[in-house]
Amino acid sequence: MDSEYAIETQDLTKVYTSRWSRREVRAIDGVSLRVRRGAIFGLLGPNGAGKTTFVKTLLSAVRPTHGSALIFGRDASQPEARRPIGYLPENHRFPTYFTGAGMLDFYAALSGLDASRRKKLILEQLELVGLSQWATMRIGKYSKGMLQRLGLAQALIHSPTILILDEPTDGVDPVGRRQIREILEGFEARGVTIFVNSHLLAEVETLCHEVAILDKGKVALSGKMQDLTAGKGYRLTVAQPPEALTEELRGRATSMARRDGLVDFQFSSRELVNGALDLLRAQRCEIEALAPTTSTLEEVFVRTVEK
Amino acid sequence: MVTLALISDTFREALTRKIFWGLFALSTLMILFFLFLLQIDIVEGGVATVGRFGGSVRTMQAAQVVRGVYAGVATFLYTFGMFLAVFASSGLIPSVLEPGRIELLLSKPLSRTHILLGRYAGNVLVVLLNSAYLVLGVWIILGVKTGIWSPIFLIAIATTTFIFAVLLTVVVLIGVLFDSAALSTMITVALMIISPILAQTSLMMRLLSSEWSRDVWRLLYYAFPKVWELGRITLEGIQYGTFVGFMPIWSSALFGMVMLGAALAVFARRDF
Repeated sequence: MDSEYAIETQDLTKVYTSRWSRREVRAIDGVSLRVRRGAIFGLLGPNGAGKTTFVKTLLSAVRPTHGSALIFGRDASQPEARRPIGYLPENHRFPTYFTGAGMLDFYAALSGLDASRRKKLILEQLELVGLSQWATMRIGKYSKGMLQRLGLAQALIHSPTILILDEPTDGVDPVGRRQIREILEGFEARGVTIFVNSHLLAEVETLCHEVAILDKGKVALSGKMQDLTAGKGYRLTVAQPPEALTEELRGRATSMARRDGLVDFQFSSRELVNGALDLLRAQRCEIEALAPTTSTLEEVFVRTVEK
Repeated sequence: MVTLALISDTFREALTRKIFWGLFALSTLMILFFLFLLQIDIVEGGVATVGRFGGSVRTMQAAQVVRGVYAGVATFLYTFGMFLAVFASSGLIPSVLEPGRIELLLSKPLSRTHILLGRYAGNVLVVLLNSAYLVLGVWIILGVKTGIWSPIFLIAIATTTFIFAVLLTVVVLIGVLFDSAALSTMITVALMIISPILAQTSLMMRLLSSEWSRDVWRLLYYAFPKVWELGRITLEGIQYGTFVGFMPIWSSALFGMVMLGAALAVFARRDF
């Protein structure tokens, strides 16, 4: 537990081989990632990129073909390495014969909590995720959003120091999403490492400080959110430029949009925007605004996977 | 604590299956049937008639009736009850391997061996309790009514649970290999069906013409669980107080250990 990193993978590779044709599929291919203690880390990628396989290797549900996965410096294949983990699977299938409280009791017992602690923590967790009044209802009758919140309570009940969440807000309404986000931010404040696997880019952008994008089983991009989305161009807004000049600038800009007598040009570099300014000033055009722009995570994602 | 949680989870899941309740209901019906049967005049009259020949004859006749009932109950448990138990149990392994459920179990600080053995033990416990319920129920009713308390009948609990535990290892192995309750049931029931056929070893040694075919027969006989012989051991023990030998017990136990070991090895290496 003295490692600087909550998660550390080195050259992690998983090759699935078809039983009959012996055809090989490299689900993840040499993935080396480090997630600092206390970080909120987002794992992104298109469908089939290997995100779920990567998460499963961390939980030892999938055995890597090559490479290593460590949780707080411990080999992830050791049961003890999983003690600090709270996990919420994507397409969870909780046994429907449980009540909400019964399910929490079962999974908390598997995490090693004794009966008296479980009794106390079950009430707290149900309260935290807003399910107290449905504690004794069978979960077969729960809605998808309720199940998701119950799943989160299950992941949190044993006070984990790392949370691995696969699509944590899947099926949850906007209010519920906000609640979940607030709960996670509370855990972040307590120093818990949060690893989120999600396809909801806006959510990851709001929540995470660091991200990695997996594509075709490899890490295509990784880094701090502010570095990945910062300094990607300039937006120049001009009031009614002459048509000939507009056409010329359109050729230099990466995009152009008209609105209410104004024209927005997006330039990818400082040189280009300075050149445009020179032309506009030479023709005495009025500059409405000039500002550096940042990319959205979605733009970063699309650029990365379309390369 | 963790083991108890795994066992109680299996127990809870088993109780959601109607087939287990069916087995329990059949056991209850059988207990009620004996309770009723021993209250009617025919039985009372029969016992009274036997009584005219003297107390010792009456006791002897009543003991025979009781042993006959014991044998009937043990046969029911061993055949129909066992089929039902195998049918009911076949889904308990694939259900826990369902995507979205197994990953969560594997994310807990437990070894895979622990998870599978907990499941196995829970399943055996369900059948043990049902066997004990029926056997003890009938034993107490007959004991109270006739004054004959023959503890040998109670071995039916042990032998039934033992052979179920052996057959369950096949259910577990097929379950972790193929995730199929239907296939688990088919193969296990097939083992139950071929057991009395393979048990005709001495006859087959005479009928088979070549030495290699006799060797194959012997191999199959010794390798597979002795469901039929264990049933015979139970019945002969109950009815005549005789014991035919340990070979069916240890060879079946060995079969079960090999199957369970293979299941644990497959489960430990499988990706989910």
